[in-house]
Amino acid sequence: MAAALLSFATTGKLSAQDGKTIYNKWCSGCHGETGAGDGVGAKTMLPHPRDFTKAVYKIRTTASGEIPTDDDLRRIVEVGMPGTAMPEWKSRLSAAEIGAVVQYLKTFSPNSFKGAAAKAIAIGKAPGGDGVADGKAVFQKLECYKCHGLAGRADGKSAPTLKDDYGNPIRPADLTENWKFRGGNSVSDIYTRLRTGLDGTPMPSFQDAVENKLITDEQLWRVAQYVHSLSPEKTPESREVVRAALAQKLPATPDDAAWATVERFWIPVVGQIIAKPRWFAPAVDGLWVQALHDGRSLALRVSWDDPSKSPDPIWDEWLGRMSKTLTDVDGPLATQQGPDRLVVQWAQNPSDESKRPYFLGGDTKSPVYAWRWSSEPKVEEGSEAGLGHFTALPNGSVTQSARYADGQWQVVFTRPLASSDTTKVPRFGEGRAIPIAFYAADGSSGEDEVRGAVSTWYAVYLDVPTPTRVFVAPIAMIALSAGLGMLLVTRAQKNGRANGATDSSPMEER
Amino acid sequence: MTRLRLFLRHPFWQAVLLLVVSYLAFTVGVRYVPPLFRVASAPVPGSVVLQYMFIAIVGILIFVSSDELRWRTFKQPLHATLVDQDKRWLRGGLLVAVPVLLGFATYQQARPKVEAPIQLRSIHPAPPGQITFRGKAMQLSGLENPLRKSGSMADHLREGKRVYYQNCIACHGDRLDGAGHYAHGFSPAPANFSDNGTIAQLTESYVFWRVAKGGPGLPREGTPWNSAMPVWENYLTEDEIWSVVMFLYDQAGWQPRRWEASPEERKNPTGAKQPAAPNAPKAGGAK
Repeated sequence: MAAALLSFATTGKLSAQDGKTIYNKWCSGCHGETGAGDGVGAKTMLPHPRDFTKAVYKIRTTASGEIPTDDDLRRIVEVGMPGTAMPEWKSRLSAAEIGAVVQYLKTFSPNSFKGAAAKAIAIGKAPGGDGVADGKAVFQKLECYKCHGLAGRADGKSAPTLKDDYGNPIRPADLTENWKFRGGNSVSDIYTRLRTGLDGTPMPSFQDAVENKLITDEQLWRVAQYVHSLSPEKTPESREVVRAALAQKLPATPDDAAWATVERFWIPVVGQIIAKPRWFAPAVDGLWVQALHDGRSLALRVSWDDPSKSPDPIWDEWLGRMSKTLTDVDGPLATQQGPDRLVVQWAQNPSDESKRPYFLGGDTKSPVYAWRWSSEPKVEEGSEAGLGHFTALPNGSVTQSARYADGQWQVVFTRPLASSDTTKVPRFGEGRAIPIAFYAADGSSGEDEVRGAVSTWYAVYLDVPTPTRVFVAPIAMIALSAGLGMLLVTRAQKNGRANGATDSSPMEER
Repeated sequence: MTRLRLFLRHPFWQAVLLLVVSYLAFTVGVRYVPPLFRVASAPVPGSVVLQYMFIAIVGILIFVSSDELRWRTFKQPLHATLVDQDKRWLRGGLLVAVPVLLGFATYQQARPKVEAPIQLRSIHPAPPGQITFRGKAMQLSGLENPLRKSGSMADHLREGKRVYYQNCIACHGDRLDGAGHYAHGFSPAPANFSDNGTIAQLTESYVFWRVAKGGPGLPREGTPWNSAMPVWENYLTEDEIWSVVMFLYDQAGWQPRRWEASPEERKNPTGAKQPAAPNAPKAGGAK
């Protein structure tokens, strides 16, 4: 590093040799010193790190099957690959350092890069007007749904059969979560991927479809616009507190239209990599949580993308491929698909912050109160003392109503606010935040009660009916200040008249 | 031009101008000016702005009242607003606007707010003097990284790199800045080793303790229930932890803090005078 910086200081330019120094320090841990994508950290990552010796790159602006341009490589190093372990590097490495690394990457595959530099394909401009409906029709015509699913949630019929060029399982992009698109989520990014394809993966290029006049170039743009429209306008940000608004009547089913108007909160979940066995390839990456209460009961709707309603025999092949790829990390995967799972856990004693249980399912000293749901579907109510160590409580009062459609689970939990058991069940009191945490697992990917995705503590706040003092205090304040103002004015005017005239101004009046 | 000059010479408008300038300095200035000189800054919390403004108002009042003539001139527009016939619209407007504003502020205070549970968390809680590592008693105070005195440093660093990339990277990240690809799922955020407020302030024995015992091994003030840091003694050997600690310092480019020199080192001082060596890191957040 020091040598690299020294040479930069003297020449202002970095060589591929400096690139090697930087690469070995920052990149080799995953991509390996020989560039074969087999660094010491590689095996816990899915997708695996890129193998530079093959010169097969997913994110390019060049035609399908061609090498990328230098700018393509530079861009990936600069901004990273969202949704994978590849981070952005522009906050750590200078432009010159990244340039040197790019030159060095190419030396891992000298034959591929020895000819003329690759040329980016010409990308026009997105056609104007609203093309989302047209785009949807072309999406169907090109059979994108076969992998990406009818609603774009990566649940197509072919999804369980997909593998990359190395035989590793690979998921189609979830088109409703475009913040994880590897090559960016703008309409022109998406269009570029459609034109170039993602080399090394089952995602083809649609250049041929345009050249053979199966579809027009404009129609391909429409597909990009349609895909773009499937995700929320803004990347969701997680907020600490989920608000349970007051409602007259609680919707009992997941597809009740009333849920559409309830504010939804994004809770990101990540692989459970704390307790044994750890899990580095979670199928679920976030939950949309909505809550309502009517003063007597609480209703919670949790929605999450899961490409399979587990167990499902068409996913056996996928599970086999997962077990083969993710070996050596804390023991073998299950050979049979389990159900899909969701655990909603609560702090047993929310009023005492100093006694909050461990976020990972509590522990023996301080268990959590949990709703354990599985896709049979059923829900059990109980206490958990460490992940998977669950004891059901008698007379559980939580009920569930679940729906699986188009690659998404929607589950509504309902339970009375009051409880006879005050030690193992929190008091669901209004006007305060009750700690809540989540655990989600997809049975078809080999996930179970410990291998899955987790969140740390969030909170649910139950709205209170607005108390009268909220209106009394401002009105009193208005009356008081207006009265004082009037008093001030009348006194000043009385004094003014008593003095005969106002003070003569030393300055010109406005 | 002359009108403007008259304005600027009038103590009342001077006071208003000073008030506006100080408000902007506290809110916008503190936030955005130091970064222009590459000094880190942050927004001033609302309650602190309120205190600063109070002090500014007191200062401005002292200034306008320090001279009899200035004080009278200052009061003049206020008085005129209260009594002059031609200002009755302004007067009426203020008599409505001020109470409404105050009423709104009171409403903001009184209405029920969605609030997260309060959590007071110590960033660097005091370490215990001694821990039990895999059933073996270990004295932490005065403990140095034993690997620095034996074997090949390059081998230790290679081993540390392996341990880091197989276990730590998902949260603490490639850049060691606590922004790994799982970091967004955890709160509090994973430690940022590239920041000068974490390992750069700590002895290697402290880091060893934090790695070995993880979140569940935190003392109460460290809110152990929320930390996602695993208990690494369940996964890693003593040497693996020491090697990854060594790797952290090497990769992030920091020197570990040292314990005070031992008696024999003090007898053989080597060259330059050492700065006062820190004691055990203190409890309480540095940030």
